[in-house]
Amino acid sequence: MIEIDHVSQVFQTAGRRGHLALSDISLEIGEGAFVSILGPSGCGKSTLLYIVGGFVKPTQGAATIKGKPIAGPGPDRGPVFQEFALFPWKTVLGNVMYGPLQQGIRRAEAEDQSRRLIEMVGLKGFENFYPKELSGGMKQRVALARTLAYHPSVLLMDEPFGALDAHTRTRLQNDLLNIWERDRKTVLFVTHSVEEAVFLSDTVVVMTRSPGRIKQIVNIDLPRPRRRAELLLDGHYQKYIVDIEHLIDDTSEEVAQP
Amino acid sequence: MIAMRTILSRAAPVLACLGLLGIWQVAALLLNTDSFPTAWEAVRAIPSILGDKESLINILASLRRMAIGFSLAVTVAIPLGLTMGRGRLVASFFNPLLMVIYPVPKAALMPIIMLWLGVGEIAKILVIFLGVSLPVIYHSFQGAKAVEEKMLWSGAAMGLSAAQRMIRIVLPAALPEILTGCRTGLVLALITMITSEMIARQSGAGNILFNSLDMGQYDTVYAMIIIVGAMGIGLDAAFESVRARLVKWSEPGFDIPLSFA
Repeated sequence: MIEIDHVSQVFQTAGRRGHLALSDISLEIGEGAFVSILGPSGCGKSTLLYIVGGFVKPTQGAATIKGKPIAGPGPDRGPVFQEFALFPWKTVLGNVMYGPLQQGIRRAEAEDQSRRLIEMVGLKGFENFYPKELSGGMKQRVALARTLAYHPSVLLMDEPFGALDAHTRTRLQNDLLNIWERDRKTVLFVTHSVEEAVFLSDTVVVMTRSPGRIKQIVNIDLPRPRRRAELLLDGHYQKYIVDIEHLIDDTSEEVAQP
Repeated sequence: MIAMRTILSRAAPVLACLGLLGIWQVAALLLNTDSFPTAWEAVRAIPSILGDKESLINILASLRRMAIGFSLAVTVAIPLGLTMGRGRLVASFFNPLLMVIYPVPKAALMPIIMLWLGVGEIAKILVIFLGVSLPVIYHSFQGAKAVEEKMLWSGAAMGLSAAQRMIRIVLPAALPEILTGCRTGLVLALITMITSEMIARQSGAGNILFNSLDMGQYDTVYAMIIIVGAMGIGLDAAFESVRARLVKWSEPGFDIPLSFA
């Protein structure tokens, strides 16, 4: 259970004026829930994720996980970034083993677990490749496996498929859902794609443009396991998308009038 | 066809050297003066220098100073550069200082250093140290500064402390850049070594060079230049092969992504 309590974030800009990135955000994320934060670029949605990760300290307010205040990063919250952020000097196996080894797991055991994870994300046979030898989609698979390897209870995904082409993106969304349906970790997923948010989530948090506020929280009441082909023909699914797109359109208009 | 090309590219440096010696030979024969011996005469003088015990001791002493100066410089410069790259405060303190020292030719400091420390080992090692430090600091600094924040965050989430992130993420991530600095540093070590020995003439390869010039042994002068040049090329090639192996993961070459999602 993650609680975000009246969080605001001000960034110092070059002109020495404070830029209000997040304004008074309060949000509760239940254990095992798949929650997407959806909003236009620059709405501070990634910042909110970084605050939960402990990478950024909020200017005001606080976030807690299981009742304990978040004071910094920790292996209970595993990030997956749009930029992959793999260790380029490590092979695929070396990257995935990094976390378990850091946690003091014996090498043989860490390697065994990591090989299984690599297989699970569909990269069997690529264990000894370096990140630069992989495509974007493969890199993100490695990044996901690397984070899953140290068993975080929460996955923090920062527009993880944002840099991928449409086809790769769809495949990774499906694979992520399959993995998630197996172990039901809490997922906080930042995206600007309405379709992606609706397809994946239990809850979609729609944010306004800068300063980022919560516009509306939409519960996605669609049965699981979800199949893309079925959903595309499903009236409920379509309605969720249309409704949320309307919400976002309103948000954009607010900006047009200063 | 490909095999032919590899052989050619391997042989190219050797051919270039032979070509240069050929031009030298012809030019010397045409000019025909005492102060410009032919390439053949210079090359012929090499075995007698390397066979002479005292010359050999001098050259080895030079190399030893160079090794000590280079190692000390790298030991100090890499941690300093990396800390500067990750800490704004450290950088704002050292950066102006280094910007002042950087363009000053280190050999120009030799008179002052000799005044303080004499003409012995320490003075020469210090000059080499100064010459090597700056490019290594600069490149380590740039390398550390360019390390992706998200990579450090990923490490922090795995439980790496700030010190561990420095050694286990910043250092390897900046290694290609650090080694570029070290390569420049190695060549500078050779340059400052010879220069310092020319100024503080007491021993070493630079001393042999100038002594033979004083005595009008021009073939020895040119032979020493060839020896020093060969040392530089040899050291650089050795370093480059080590470097290439260490940062194999960052070299372009097979960076064509495989067509697999």
